Amino acid sequence: MAFEKMELNEVEVWDGNFAAAQAMRQVQIDVVSAYPITPSTPIVEGYAKFLADGYIEGEFMMVESEHAAMSGCIGAAAAGGRVATATSSQGLALMAETLYQASGMRLPIVLNIVNRALAAPLNVNGDHSDMYMVRDSGWIQFDAYNPQEVYDLNLIAFKVAEDHDVRLPAVVNQDGFMTSHTASNVRPLSDDEAYNFVGEFKPMNDMLDLDNPVTHGVQTEEDWHFEHKARQHNDLMTKVFPKIQEAFDAFEKLTGRRYNMVEKYLLDDAEVAVVAMGTSVETAVEVARELREEGIKAGVIGIRVFRPWPFEYIAEAIKGLKAIGTLDRSSPNGALGALYNEFAGVLVNSDQKTVLTNYVYGLGGRDLTKAHLREIFKELKANADAGKPTTELQQLIGVRGPKLAYL
Amino acid sequence: MGEMKKIKNLKEFSTSADRFEGANLLCPGCAHSIIVREILNATNDDLVLSASTGCLEVCTAVYPYTSWDASWIHIGFENGSTAVAGAEAMHKALKRKGRLKQPDRDVKFVSFAGDGASYDIGFQWISGCMERGHNMMHVVLDNEVYANTGGQRSSSTPIGASATTSPAGRVSYGEKKNKKDMVAIMAAHGIPYSAQVAPNKWKDMVKKIQHGLSVDGPVFINAMSPCTTEWKFDPKDTMMISDLATDSLVFPLYEIIDGHKLNITYRPKNIVPVEEYLAAQGRFKHLFKDEYKHLIKEWQERVDKNWEMLQRREEAGV
Amino acid sequence: MADNTMGWDEFEIGAMLRSFDGPISDVALKPQEERNYSQNNSFTASVADWRIEKPIYNKDYCIDCQFCWIYCPDISIISRDKKMIGVDYDHCKGCGICVEVCPTNPKSLLMYPEQEDEEAAIAAWPEKEEKEK
Repeated sequence: MAFEKMELNEVEVWDGNFAAAQAMRQVQIDVVSAYPITPSTPIVEGYAKFLADGYIEGEFMMVESEHAAMSGCIGAAAAGGRVATATSSQGLALMAETLYQASGMRLPIVLNIVNRALAAPLNVNGDHSDMYMVRDSGWIQFDAYNPQEVYDLNLIAFKVAEDHDVRLPAVVNQDGFMTSHTASNVRPLSDDEAYNFVGEFKPMNDMLDLDNPVTHGVQTEEDWHFEHKARQHNDLMTKVFPKIQEAFDAFEKLTGRRYNMVEKYLLDDAEVAVVAMGTSVETAVEVARELREEGIKAGVIGIRVFRPWPFEYIAEAIKGLKAIGTLDRSSPNGALGALYNEFAGVLVNSDQKTVLTNYVYGLGGRDLTKAHLREIFKELKANADAGKPTTELQQLIGVRGPKLAYL
Repeated sequence: MGEMKKIKNLKEFSTSADRFEGANLLCPGCAHSIIVREILNATNDDLVLSASTGCLEVCTAVYPYTSWDASWIHIGFENGSTAVAGAEAMHKALKRKGRLKQPDRDVKFVSFAGDGASYDIGFQWISGCMERGHNMMHVVLDNEVYANTGGQRSSSTPIGASATTSPAGRVSYGEKKNKKDMVAIMAAHGIPYSAQVAPNKWKDMVKKIQHGLSVDGPVFINAMSPCTTEWKFDPKDTMMISDLATDSLVFPLYEIIDGHKLNITYRPKNIVPVEEYLAAQGRFKHLFKDEYKHLIKEWQERVDKNWEMLQRREEAGV
Repeated sequence: MADNTMGWDEFEIGAMLRSFDGPISDVALKPQEERNYSQNNSFTASVADWRIEKPIYNKDYCIDCQFCWIYCPDISIISRDKKMIGVDYDHCKGCGICVEVCPTNPKSLLMYPEQEDEEAAIAAWPEKEEKEK
């Protein structure tokens, strides 16, 4: 089969989906098993077009559901090779069962999740409900805020996931439409540079090693299950961050682009900060800059690695902050937001007194405006000055009707 | 392709070195194991196998033991077929890229699943695998019930059988719906080969498996697997029940080539009345009460009609 | 081998099991006695305690038809070079199928209580049954 490399410009204009498809092409995936769903469909389409044009040497399984997509990925990964797919929202929900199976079998699959709301009511636009739904599934989760980061983090995800000391699947999240369908400048690596950064796939416990038969997917009951799950948890807690750091360092050396477990913007002397993921991070940084001219020492914390949870990196990032607002783009449905709770866990064991409040925003693709963020920062400033919450702990912002605030 | 294993007779077959091991946890007298042995021993090629959740899976890979001497994977209840399809796709990719560790060896991809995992919950996954044309074989170990979970009805459970979710009772004769014709449905995908097999007819089985493993494309095999626990007969009688099933034509043995051409592969010399097949199993015991005896007659009529249909299809030769 | 005193850090990731210790080629052509089974292979385990009755084999009447070999669900009929050698009592669960399918007269395999002495059973093996005319 024809397999050609592609000449890329120093700067390309790609949306997040195409950036993901290009990264997938460049790392020469052996099997992609996929099913289309808005807004991730163009990743699958892009990959299919590369195949049709002779740029792909691997196999492409266009299956009949997302559950089958990940099932095919698991079979292929256990057979021994580089595997990836993409999905969103309902597709991820259908896939959920197999996500736990993939991570439990320690198969290094890369999954691009183009974040989208979960029905009902049905909605195709971006929020983080799907990302949150699978946060305990044992996958490494990266979060990209723009197409360049989607591209970069895909390469990094393969490198980390496939490392024999890690052997865990990895997700690269990007915001549906806001990132996935918004074209922007992307500086890609050449095909050779990108492939060499990730390196050749090194099989481990591969079913296709015919001289060494292996059994994958055993049954364990109360006498074994806990130990296997504990091992996986331990590896996520202790082995993943050093490998991510190695990959981030190597990537910076290659490209000059620096990634961190937790991205800190204007934090050095900040008094108040918001915590966000996805495209909201960039908007928040812009607003923080503006507010600094008005005398508010505002900063932004962006979560780059959502799982494993970068507890110690956050403990370091929040030092000196007097008030923090966590921005959760998913309905907690009867609780405080996930980011709020995770941050509370860090704060409760620190010596500092920081007021922590929670904002639920942007459900189903509702815009988070600069005006919203200005308001949030001002409330945080008031909290910092008062040394206690001046609002309810949780507020829903950008929703029509009487104000919704709790606790 | 590797050379086909020569199996002229049972003595020659008995020189096979099993790649499925004992001290698995299947019930004494379980036909699953007999079928798996006949299938695995039909070839000397390397194998990559899967099992969907079910008796076979849960009895052959309970940590820290495996009963498999070939690479094997289990993911879930519904997706064993797709697991093997993924492995087969990887094999193709690595072959093309020159990365197979043993490039000269022939590998066959086989997925095993029960009727629940095939007729019901895994139906879509199998259909996808058949439609996409993977080089793989899907084998249904058809015991007409969710045996692993204690005997619930599946869409393979036949009329009149008492299952725990369609029990015979004071006002019910048990399962009300007839068994789904899975072989016809799978053949309708236009796959190169589909067939129904039974463990008692080992030679027919070996011939079909060898043919199935030699064709290019997906293959579907429906293997009747008498279940001593849920069909309620003595473990020693597994082969006797199998004989009654094939000789009463309740389980006719046939194959369908390229999705349309049907060949009957076994014609019993003496056709046994369906009543004898039913009478040998506890799951049909209630049918012999006066008020349900008409169902036995209807059973016979249905089997006769099906046999007639199969013969006509064979004669038509289209 | 993994045993249930082992801690979480003592076994391979992914709960993966190996069938053999070290590489094996041509496994389909290698009889069990020539294989390097791993301790995780169920071949190394026993289900002998499942049995209440066991089949006893009397080679005097055996015609090596191999019906017992093909229909044994538990890989417990040991056949080598087309000859039936005996029963693998580590893996036999005592289902009795081998006895049912044995075509000789008298049968070459019969079920006995688990405690039965093999030599005594063979010494007292039933006579050929006359078929009713």
